[in-house]
Amino acid sequence: MFWRNNILAVLLLCCTWCLATSEEFHEALTFRPLQDGRLATRFTFTTLLRGAYPRDPSTLQEEDESQHYAIFPLALGQVLREYAVTELHLTLNAGKWDYDHWGYPDEPGVGTGAELWAWMGESAARSVDERWKGLRNALSGQFCASLGSLDEQRTTSPELTFRPEGSLPQWGTTHQLRHGTLPSEHVCTENLTPFLKLLPCKSLTGIASLLNPHRLFDADWHGLGVHVRYLENEGIEVRLSFQSVFDPVRYSNGRRDWSLRSVFDRVIDRSCPIAHSSEIRVAIPKEETAVAITPDSYTTHAGFVYFNVSNASKPLDISMSWPDEQKFEYGSSQSRGRLSVSITNHMPITIQTSYLESMPWLLQFYLHSLQIYSNGVSRDDLISIVSYIPSVPHVRPTLFQAILTLPPKSTLHLSMDVIKPFLRYTEHPPDAQRGWDLPPAVLVPLLHSNSSTLDPGLSNPPSGFEQLRLPRRMYTPVLLVDLATPDFSMPYNVIIMSCTLIALIFGMVFNLLTRKFTLIRVSPEPK
Amino acid sequence: MKAVLFLFALVCTLWQCVHAQIPSEQEQHVTSFFNSHGGSTSRHTNNWAVLVCSSRYWFNYRHMANALGMYRTVKRLGIPDSNIILMLADDTACNSRNKFPGCVYASAARDLDLYGDNIEVDYRGYEVTVENFIRVLTGRMDPSVPRSKRLLTDDRSNVFVYMTGHGGNEFLKFQDNEEISAFDIADAFEQMWQKKRYNEIFFMIDTCQANTMYSKFYSPNILATGSSELDENSYSHENDRDLGISVIDRFTHHILRFMEGVNKTSQATMQDLFNVYDYEKFMSHAGVRSDLFRRPLDQTYITDFFGGVSQAEVMSPPLSLSPSSNEGSEPENVPESELPVELDQSLDFTSWISSDTNATVRSADEVYGYDGILHELNSRAHAPKQGENMQSVRAWVSTGLLVALVGWVGSNTT
Repeated sequence: MFWRNNILAVLLLCCTWCLATSEEFHEALTFRPLQDGRLATRFTFTTLLRGAYPRDPSTLQEEDESQHYAIFPLALGQVLREYAVTELHLTLNAGKWDYDHWGYPDEPGVGTGAELWAWMGESAARSVDERWKGLRNALSGQFCASLGSLDEQRTTSPELTFRPEGSLPQWGTTHQLRHGTLPSEHVCTENLTPFLKLLPCKSLTGIASLLNPHRLFDADWHGLGVHVRYLENEGIEVRLSFQSVFDPVRYSNGRRDWSLRSVFDRVIDRSCPIAHSSEIRVAIPKEETAVAITPDSYTTHAGFVYFNVSNASKPLDISMSWPDEQKFEYGSSQSRGRLSVSITNHMPITIQTSYLESMPWLLQFYLHSLQIYSNGVSRDDLISIVSYIPSVPHVRPTLFQAILTLPPKSTLHLSMDVIKPFLRYTEHPPDAQRGWDLPPAVLVPLLHSNSSTLDPGLSNPPSGFEQLRLPRRMYTPVLLVDLATPDFSMPYNVIIMSCTLIALIFGMVFNLLTRKFTLIRVSPEPK
Repeated sequence: MKAVLFLFALVCTLWQCVHAQIPSEQEQHVTSFFNSHGGSTSRHTNNWAVLVCSSRYWFNYRHMANALGMYRTVKRLGIPDSNIILMLADDTACNSRNKFPGCVYASAARDLDLYGDNIEVDYRGYEVTVENFIRVLTGRMDPSVPRSKRLLTDDRSNVFVYMTGHGGNEFLKFQDNEEISAFDIADAFEQMWQKKRYNEIFFMIDTCQANTMYSKFYSPNILATGSSELDENSYSHENDRDLGISVIDRFTHHILRFMEGVNKTSQATMQDLFNVYDYEKFMSHAGVRSDLFRRPLDQTYITDFFGGVSQAEVMSPPLSLSPSSNEGSEPENVPESELPVELDQSLDFTSWISSDTNATVRSADEVYGYDGILHELNSRAHAPKQGENMQSVRAWVSTGLLVALVGWVGSNTT
């Protein structure tokens, strides 16, 4: 009896171990001190489901085969299979990414607000638009964000800019892209809570235990991202990331030293036992000043310092300090938002970039008035328009995709006249006097013009591209535009005034017509 | 002759109908369970909460804090996030004006952070509209709306509806843009009653002239309370000098202070809660409407609405249950993981249970022995099948009789 029970337990363990090897979980945390004294951090939680395929959209009419996940997040997996999504990217960001002082982010999706885009295969059973609606509603419930309002008035299909980051399976049907942004979306603890629930160790052990919302949402810039992609020969990968830019100078007395305790107000007490790899990377700054990193148990490679969290002694608190500095002074920067776009090329070579502007219909372009100036000289040859889908008021946003050629070491100014159509009074948001947030424009640097072939559809850039250290995508800041806002109290005022006038006029006319003045002789009192 | 046959056929069909309506044993058992305390229990099996803050903008911080205070209370007393619909019209915790990011406080002393680390807001920002609120209550939604945004109540659910914001005589303002009237809410509750979407509703509202909002209800089993009478304002409680605005309203503040003394096993009643109402403290006359509520208030527990607690019967097993000793009598349909290992006969099972549920506990001797329970469970598992079999046999026999009669009549007449 005893052995029978044991054999059963051993068999069960073997089964779960076999299943577990088909799923891998890696977690990593990267620190990068920035030149203006800030600290860029990036949490990455990657779950790889080996040997899995996205659901074929032609099977949408039938029952789906059951999926068994041990580490892979079940809630997200169910949503992906329900709507047969091949690739999904959701980012929720707050703040403005300062490219001038912070360089390029590790994760390119830094547009302010909520951005959701997905590649889905076509299907005769359920259309891509129908599945897009279901997908954004399901994700809005999952992540407590208002993604359900990314309706057809905010959805476009900019296939030139948002290329698939994984592979698209060959099913014989084409894949379509759906993209929507909500630049005014707030990000707060309620978005982080379901994010943490998708992790196998939740926020109890491992690197995820550092995610303290009271510190994360105090950062100068923060954003969380959910990226799902299909990698051929490997499987489905879910990457949950949280990027933020902290300001240690603000927390301390003018010093840019930082530690896990000072940044997150937490340390790592236990490592996540399910993680295949769990490491913390710290980028060594390239300046000459001396830097001290504690604890000493790290390895160095290619300008980074690596800590293995599973082997390190707990509680683990990593700190970096500049012992020779007394005080750090940071300069102030100011940026203004204009409807025109100015792009500066600091490199000594010509760069070609695709430029995407997807504007809600409340701002319409006059494309004939598009002007390009490079260093003060009008240069119309620097832009070549690839596609322009004009907006239809109350129905569809504008989609404008063009290729810009940036000469070396120059600044390009693009400007265009716009017109603001009239909104119906029911379309105004409750805080109408604030204005409308406009989504950011997206720039994707393509191969530089040294190569004769220009292939914007390349999802895996060649090795020369990497050497240039060009980012995959760049976002412009989000703008706020004022539209003609009606006086919402006007109907009440008009009714009151006109009713008063009518009452007065009617009263006077009625009196004039019907009132008769007669003389009455008042006889003296009889004595 | 034909008349006799017709009458016979009629009697057969009537007999079938009557048999189909006799309640099964299962239903009788359920009804007697809920009536076991003389009918004064709430008869609910699950609790839901709908918490609405309908004001936007930073200076309405106190309305957000009101709703979050209720959220925390309701979660602490046991209602899970899946049963709570929280609607916040603006983002206060991560607002750029908030000096304490990620935190919402309900007192100037800042001793308790209501936002915490584990919060789920179901409707936020522009999604908090009158239309969405009424859709949540009535359940009429687009099929693509996810589960976390639906009120999935049934006829044994107790629902706690809390609303706060700026209001007036029979209306409540949503985001300074639109209004919901007392008639709308009354009609929504009536729709819920017609569709059997609630067992009892506790409606609490904290606005100016709040008592007018519940004056129009006409559906049964609703208990309502408001913070001020007609032509009266509800006042805020205290200001925070660092944040620069008021952080909580008086009515909600005193209710939350009372709730801090209530835990999951508390026997505090609604009458105790309403005894807290005091004009000196609130500066307004808070009211209660209980004419639609069929139970007396001093026998209605707070946890009937605020907690995730319902009536349960627990039978304490009289045997010790270590897995290795019971070889033969171990039942197959109870999984091993659920049996407490090494449970002594001497262990007082009632104390183990009462620490986290408000259950009615009876010892095993009163009701059944342990083996008796299993026998009951097994027989009850089979009984419905037997009942169903009997019904189908009866149905076939009577239809067969009818067909035979019709055939005989036909053959006789030709």
